[in-house]
Amino acid sequence: MTFANLIPTLDATVFVSSSEMETRPVQHVIASDLMSDVLVAHLDDFVLVTSLASDQMIRTADLVGATGVILVNDKRPPASLIQLAKDLSIPLLGTALTKFAACLAIGKALEDKGDPA
Amino acid sequence: MNRLPDLSPEKSPLTLVEVIYSTTIREVMSTDPITVERNTPMSTVQHLMRDHGVSGLPIAEEGRLFGIVSVQDLIEALQQGKLNVPVSTCMTERVVTLEEDMPLSMAISTFSKYRFGRFPVLNAAQRLTGIISVRDINVTLVNRLLQQVSKFESMLDNEVTPGLELNRVFHTRQHDFENGGKASTTIKKHLVDHHVDRSLVKRIAIASYELEMNQVVHSIGGTISYRITPDAVEILVQDRGPGIENVDLALTEGFTTANEWIKSLGFGAGLGLPNAKRVSDEFFIHSEPNVGTTVKVVIHLDKKQKENAT
Repeated sequence: MTFANLIPTLDATVFVSSSEMETRPVQHVIASDLMSDVLVAHLDDFVLVTSLASDQMIRTADLVGATGVILVNDKRPPASLIQLAKDLSIPLLGTALTKFAACLAIGKALEDKGDPA
Repeated sequence: MNRLPDLSPEKSPLTLVEVIYSTTIREVMSTDPITVERNTPMSTVQHLMRDHGVSGLPIAEEGRLFGIVSVQDLIEALQQGKLNVPVSTCMTERVVTLEEDMPLSMAISTFSKYRFGRFPVLNAAQRLTGIISVRDINVTLVNRLLQQVSKFESMLDNEVTPGLELNRVFHTRQHDFENGGKASTTIKKHLVDHHVDRSLVKRIAIASYELEMNQVVHSIGGTISYRITPDAVEILVQDRGPGIENVDLALTEGFTTANEWIKSLGFGAGLGLPNAKRVSDEFFIHSEPNVGTTVKVVIHLDKKQKENAT
């Protein structure tokens, strides 16, 4: 599964897209509003599911190499966050789903579609 | 008396902090200090101070320190016409002392804390071996900094860094969340651009970001310096305070002093320092309350990495 596959799955709004979102694989999910926890997770090829719409959230996603970010609960990202996500080439989606419902939907999609390789 | 220089990394050469921690008081102090005995009359103290141009004399017998007498004590004795009394009646008995093996930073913070012009220095056996003044410190600092300047000048002459190698310094400010993390993202991009292995980049980025955000969240500001060579990435973070009361506790997962506001921004879970340590190959921390915290981490670039990197 790729990050772009998540757009229909989550009925998501694309705030920031990147050329890599069609190709980079998604295998795991980290769901947290606590960036300290995101920084200690030992995973690759993951998406960050969060309701924290701050610049530091995008910086954290970049530094830990997240494939992309999903902003839940219909949170509207501030303009500075969108700009930063563009600068760092991190795709950013928004969904009206709750964090739990978004995780559930991604989990189901991972089971159905599995690894793109 | 002139104040000691401001030792904040932003206003001083970056290596200053390293100098003041790696230099011991033994290297800075004046040895074989002129001393007097308890029964020496104040008139002798007056002559010694005048002849030797000193403003304070330790009272010691066979290396054992009994007190210290200053110019102020002498002036008081003069005013009261007590020139023939033994110095033991005029001296300060509760003397603040330093030890030979302490770092120079300790002497500097002691001078900042007390308004005395000099401190007796004792060895491990508590015997008087020297005396340290602000002048001694300043002379040492000037000499060491001159050495550093010479070293930097020769480094500049040899600078050739279009590739992976890099020396760069960033400044952080307290609670500046807008810019917090910029240093780490810049360095991460540099490493990615030079094809450093993804898992190594992640470790370096995490160590860097944890330390950078620690400075933004907890310190009153400081610097974060990167030295990238084909062998390793070295990150040196230095802040101007307030310092960490208990370093062992700060290295314990879950221990935090962050407030709710910091936590609402997604930080302050008490995982930063332990996480930076976890992802690093070498980790060094030194902190002194009211002075600041220095952390140095090194992450080695392995052999395979060296072949890939350009």
